[in-house]
Amino acid sequence: MARDPKPTDQKLSHTAAMILQALDAGFVYGFSIMEMTGLPSGTVYPAMRRLERDALIRSQWERQSIADAEQRPPRKYYKLTAAGKSTLESSRKRYPLLERLIPSEEARTV
Amino acid sequence: MKPSPRNLITHLRSLSHSGLLLGASLLVPANQRAEWRREWRGELWHVQQSCAPGGACGWQDERAMAAFCLGAFQDALCIRRSNFENKPFFAQSSGTPGRCLLALLTMLAAAYALALWLPGVAAERGLWPRKVSPNLVFIERATSHSLSAPSITPRQFRSWEGRRQKYFDAFAFFSVSAEQVASPSTGLDRKANTALNVARASANLFTLLGLSVHLTNPLLPDAMPEIVLSERTWKTQFAADPHIAGTIVRFVDRSARVAGVAPDGSLALPGRVDAWEFPPSAGQLDPPFGYVVAHLTDEGKAEMWANRVAINASQPDGTEDDLLGIAIEEWRPSPINLYLFAVLLGLLALPAITTVSLGESSLDSQQTSWWRKLVRWSFFSTKIGLLFPIIYFVSFDLAYGDRSLGREGAIYIQLISTFSLCLFGMRWVLKDQRQRCPVCVRTVCHPAHVGQASWTFLDWNGTEMVCMGGHTMLHVPSLPTSWFGSQRWLYLDTSWQFLFAGSTRPIP
Repeated sequence: MARDPKPTDQKLSHTAAMILQALDAGFVYGFSIMEMTGLPSGTVYPAMRRLERDALIRSQWERQSIADAEQRPPRKYYKLTAAGKSTLESSRKRYPLLERLIPSEEARTV
Repeated sequence: MKPSPRNLITHLRSLSHSGLLLGASLLVPANQRAEWRREWRGELWHVQQSCAPGGACGWQDERAMAAFCLGAFQDALCIRRSNFENKPFFAQSSGTPGRCLLALLTMLAAAYALALWLPGVAAERGLWPRKVSPNLVFIERATSHSLSAPSITPRQFRSWEGRRQKYFDAFAFFSVSAEQVASPSTGLDRKANTALNVARASANLFTLLGLSVHLTNPLLPDAMPEIVLSERTWKTQFAADPHIAGTIVRFVDRSARVAGVAPDGSLALPGRVDAWEFPPSAGQLDPPFGYVVAHLTDEGKAEMWANRVAINASQPDGTEDDLLGIAIEEWRPSPINLYLFAVLLGLLALPAITTVSLGESSLDSQQTSWWRKLVRWSFFSTKIGLLFPIIYFVSFDLAYGDRSLGREGAIYIQLISTFSLCLFGMRWVLKDQRQRCPVCVRTVCHPAHVGQASWTFLDWNGTEMVCMGGHTMLHVPSLPTSWFGSQRWLYLDTSWQFLFAGSTRPIP
């Protein structure tokens, strides 16, 4: 079926591209992405579900022991997949200001 | 130790946020709910730490936290939608006639089940088979304009009853007055000195109305009067005592024995009556005015016109009196007649809110086959066939579900709800039909707006929708013009086929 093109060929919306860029920049959970991008929760979380469905990102639960030690509930972390990184590269060409809007982790530490 | 106001506010805030997340989680499919809640609870903790680190926060932070929690509903809906889309049945049945009919059938079943379950509706339904005789009339003075006030004296009634009549073979009399119940004699949980609307009636009233209420004692001249309580009074004033029969009720100037309970709404008579009292003899009916119910002979029935009959009666003093007989059926219309009347009104008003055209014109000369036309029309008639029973049961549920509204209130609600449901239901049926592909009868989708009516001049602007089976495209103008007044179908040829590679139906 023509609905699933190769991940690198996918044309992402601006919102999805921003989320991928934020993840790449080290903002790895929903609330930090919200803070970084300024997008509301009703946009960020559904977008992340779709990105995960399309295998551009994957999620992983934090270990309970870490959360217990910090006396807080555990959280779910998100990470870019290889396909997600390729798609992000394509999106940066499509949205040149993306990197300047959310500098990547390396750029911020320099 | 008393909690401080700050702690209380923090606790309430936390509760409201948890409540919002809990509500949103109900939208998430059950197998993903626990993980979804865990993630949102974890995130909420961080949001609260960020916005209200010490428990205190300003209005802006409160708003930010509430907005975060409300976003959970969008996420939950997104997951739910995605779950449905992944199910082959839901994906393939989207917009199909079968799904539409299934939804209508479900609504009909729900409305019918509700009608069976609601006690008020069940009671009203139980009265339907007891059709009021068309030969029964109220007699009132011709100068009276309604039955709201009684106009016949007991003397007139006794005079008619005592003579052989050509047009009537039975008369019954009743009058309603407020009576104080002087002392509670039953020891039940009932207010002392309660005022009841008591109708004093001749003994044959219930028989004449066709009600099978039997008085326990023969009406001997020196016997105690008997009363029949209305169901509402029995429940509210006598705590629905199952052993109420035989109880003595004392009014200010007399006593009466309870003979039984009449179901609410079973008496199609004017006025609100709490109890019916039957004095042993008609001579004890002594109010200034009352109502008379009479039974017409066949000759009398033949004289009726438009449910009314003019009567000229001789008074006991020899003078003539102009009277009017009004059929009881007219006083108390049956729910079915009300329904049919409101449906008729709704259908008459329909052209005022939508076009009654089915919009079947096409941009080209291609026409659908007779078979497809038959399928389309069958679907249309089935929808209407299901809509009207739905309207009937829903309006009945609304009108008679709450028995405290009373008979008059229920009539108004049934009329208004039937009219509104018929009007907007038919509007939906027509609109839905106009947006169904003439070939596969599925709804067209993916609306694309072309042009803006206020920006373009002499150029087409409107909405285009496409059939997911790849059969047709629908053009709906924003503003009807002389050259494009109504929607038109464009039948797609095989050159469009590549766009619908995944469609469920081939282009014929």
